[in-house]
Amino acid sequence: MAAKRGAEASLESSSSKRPRPTGGDDSYRDDNEAEYLSDPAADAALVPRAATINFSALTRRLAEARRTTNTVADESSLDAHRRQQDSLVSHIFMDQDFSWLHLKPDHASRPLWISPEDGHIILEAFSPIAEQAQDFLVAISEPVSRPAFIHEYKLTSYSLYAAVSVGLQTEDIIEVLNRLSKVPVPESIISFIRERTLSYGKVKLVLKHNKYFVESSHPETLQLLLKDKVIREARVVTQQTDTSIKAATFTTTKAPVKGNLVIPGTKEAEKKKDDSTAGRPGAPAVAGPTDAELFTSVVGVDGDEIDEDDDNVHAFEIDDAKIDDVKKRCNELEYPMLEEYDFRNDTINANLDIDLKPATVIRPYQETSLSKMFGNGRARSGIIVLPCGAGKTLVGITAACTVKKSCLVLCTSSVSVMQWKQQFMQWSNVTDRQIAVFTAESKERFAGESGIVVSTYSMVANTHNRSHESKKMMEFLTSREWGFILLDEVHVVPAAMFRRVVTTIKAHSKLGLTATLVREDDKISDLNYMIGPKLYEANWMDLAAKGHIANVQCAEVWCPMTPEFYREYLREQSRKRMLLYCMNPKKFQACQFLIKFHEDRGDKIIVFSDNVFALEAYAKKLGKPYIHGGTGQVERMRVLQWFQHDSNVNTIFLSKVGDTSIDLPEATCLIQISSHFGSRRQEAQRLGRILRAKRRNDEGFNAFFYSLVSKDTQEMFYSTKRQQFLIDQGYAFKVITHLDGLENLPDLVYKTKDEQIELISSVLLANESEADLGTDIRAGEGDLAGTVTSKDFGIPTKFPTAQRTTGSLTALSGAQHMSYVEQNKSANKKLARDAAPRNKLFSKRDKERAAARKESRSSGRT
Amino acid sequence: MRAIKGILLTCDSAVKQILLTMNEKAPFVIEDLDEFHLVIKADEEYRVRRELEAELEKNTYSLEAN
Repeated sequence: MAAKRGAEASLESSSSKRPRPTGGDDSYRDDNEAEYLSDPAADAALVPRAATINFSALTRRLAEARRTTNTVADESSLDAHRRQQDSLVSHIFMDQDFSWLHLKPDHASRPLWISPEDGHIILEAFSPIAEQAQDFLVAISEPVSRPAFIHEYKLTSYSLYAAVSVGLQTEDIIEVLNRLSKVPVPESIISFIRERTLSYGKVKLVLKHNKYFVESSHPETLQLLLKDKVIREARVVTQQTDTSIKAATFTTTKAPVKGNLVIPGTKEAEKKKDDSTAGRPGAPAVAGPTDAELFTSVVGVDGDEIDEDDDNVHAFEIDDAKIDDVKKRCNELEYPMLEEYDFRNDTINANLDIDLKPATVIRPYQETSLSKMFGNGRARSGIIVLPCGAGKTLVGITAACTVKKSCLVLCTSSVSVMQWKQQFMQWSNVTDRQIAVFTAESKERFAGESGIVVSTYSMVANTHNRSHESKKMMEFLTSREWGFILLDEVHVVPAAMFRRVVTTIKAHSKLGLTATLVREDDKISDLNYMIGPKLYEANWMDLAAKGHIANVQCAEVWCPMTPEFYREYLREQSRKRMLLYCMNPKKFQACQFLIKFHEDRGDKIIVFSDNVFALEAYAKKLGKPYIHGGTGQVERMRVLQWFQHDSNVNTIFLSKVGDTSIDLPEATCLIQISSHFGSRRQEAQRLGRILRAKRRNDEGFNAFFYSLVSKDTQEMFYSTKRQQFLIDQGYAFKVITHLDGLENLPDLVYKTKDEQIELISSVLLANESEADLGTDIRAGEGDLAGTVTSKDFGIPTKFPTAQRTTGSLTALSGAQHMSYVEQNKSANKKLARDAAPRNKLFSKRDKERAAARKESRSSGRT
Repeated sequence: MRAIKGILLTCDSAVKQILLTMNEKAPFVIEDLDEFHLVIKADEEYRVRRELEAELEKNTYSLEAN
């Protein structure tokens, strides 16, 4: 009972927000009573405070009533009080009441709670040993949410597979968990861990001579798999001349042997490390630099143990086309296939002689992520998750330089293809002829036996309408074995397309890179069997604390809707609603105020708007340059240059084009006025725009991220949804309901009611299509739908069409109620005065165009 | 002489707009006083409160709903 009581008390203190007085029954009552009294008071006064009816207060009151009836029977004894407390707490937690778990006597010094039901682990991140515990937890489970003080992790099959594949032992996992946990590890969790870890690593998928084999050193396991219908059908039966039973069933070969492996770029870091752990540069990094005996002994185990004593391995071949089904089936049978590539002993595929440039040094977390991949001297397939701006590309390049075999890089658009190529040239000593690009525009092949090909997902997955050239290129890609395939932005690729890529291209190992492992369609689990487990996920907060990415202050600014706008908003059912909440005059004012405030601080500001109509309206009204899909190439370059170098241009407005393709390390403040509904990915991508701020290493530097939200509209819903990913990474969003000093801002826009009404009429006049998002961008050929990385936005350049109106001279001169309005001009134009003289070619064309126009006008008149 | 029992509602301007739109479907407002005050029929109060709550809840994102 004592232990139970203790459990409960600490449970309460750690989980209930309001500190409850523990004195005795009376003080308890008072507390409740006060609450009870305050509620009816609020309700009885005909006027609710914020006119939102407080339903939670109502339910609370009902619960209160229920509780008081419970306590009538027993009075005043301490036991009764405890019982009452029990029922109080149990009531709150309902099904999640775990007060029956026994706390260990020294629980205060242990940082973990483990939920017996779903394998969720709650970590007290303020505990002195939290850092070591985190290293361990990241290795065995998946982070769910990591805010400042309490972290949540989840044990899943995949995370346990990943743990075993980096060399952790079942018993060690249980032992360490037990040491860290406040309660004994529940039986259900222990058996879960046992079950998942024991079957792992028994079956391997290997690629030999361009054919896939399922390999295992336990023939029984293979027999078992072959009993399954899906797998049996996928099997390719080859003619066997040997008649012995074993050989007839499986092919048998020698198991591979390992040696030492050094990941390039980590050599420097490695030297500093303890000599005792050298020789295996990868594994010790898992435990981090701390020497806590407990963890290094367990987390830093050598990765060799998963290898069996049996030297012989048995295998059967499976059909390329069905490889995916087999993988999925094996996962379902709980014999997940390990995909490892023993690249150093691969003598069949030609080596690719590339290395990182000597000057290239990779950061500690990049090293950690790679050490998980190459933990046991072989290349393991999986996914690495790093924040935007934390150097994903370099991780990929380093991995390619470690494997040193032919490599295929797949990205989402033709622009990132060029970026990858350029990055490869920058960081490694790859020569121009070793790296080739395969896009709609260029179809190159590398010279020599091995090399790197960079392409897009759609180019490779496309099944129809191929030109002769790309057909031949595809044949080239599918006919050979690839040592390594790098998949950029894995989370955006549709599952079907992915499957086609994975089945057509034969690669020994795969590495997926992404910043945000979230999908709005929740198809993340598909990636688990198509690529492999999540090998590493960086902690954003950690990276920010160490200065690798900028510290960001996030805020959500609530802008009330003006009554006129809100009335129209409520009436409007179509997409135009969106336009109304974007164009809210209060939002204009908040935007103006924030721009002014941050410009005075010396910040460089980017304002994002997905909606082009709103973008232009804001930019013109506030007199700032802007870029959207329709902005011409010359103008765009000029605006960007000004933003980067001119101290007079501190703010630019960007549409969706700025989400990814435009890199502006100068920016330190970001304001969002309209966004793509509830997309968590876009939110993270936008935050990524300021994470690599140049000034991030300045003392006390903070970048700012504001979302302007119109109150009482759908935007509130979307905004909260969008933030979820970042909140799970530990970012806290402050809510600003009132901007101090907004009213006193000189020349505040839309201050008077007349101006606001004028604005609303212009919004109501706008076409419904203006409310569409991201209309200014057209994907290039070979780009994935929905990825906006194209630099050439491909807006059709229309010849200015002649406008003809008939009217009397009196009307045109201002009589008959016609008036001419002066409108705000684009700031782009104002800055464009110093335009370079036109090239002869263009001026000639201009002249011809003018002549044509004149001609059509004269022909129209006759 | 006919008397209707009324209730004075104080609300912010946004809520007032919601109430006015609701009023178009099933009238309950007796008098529109100013930007923050409305007089509504007393016997409609409960229904109005419930519908308003539902309306406001639409704009709140909760993890459970997901």
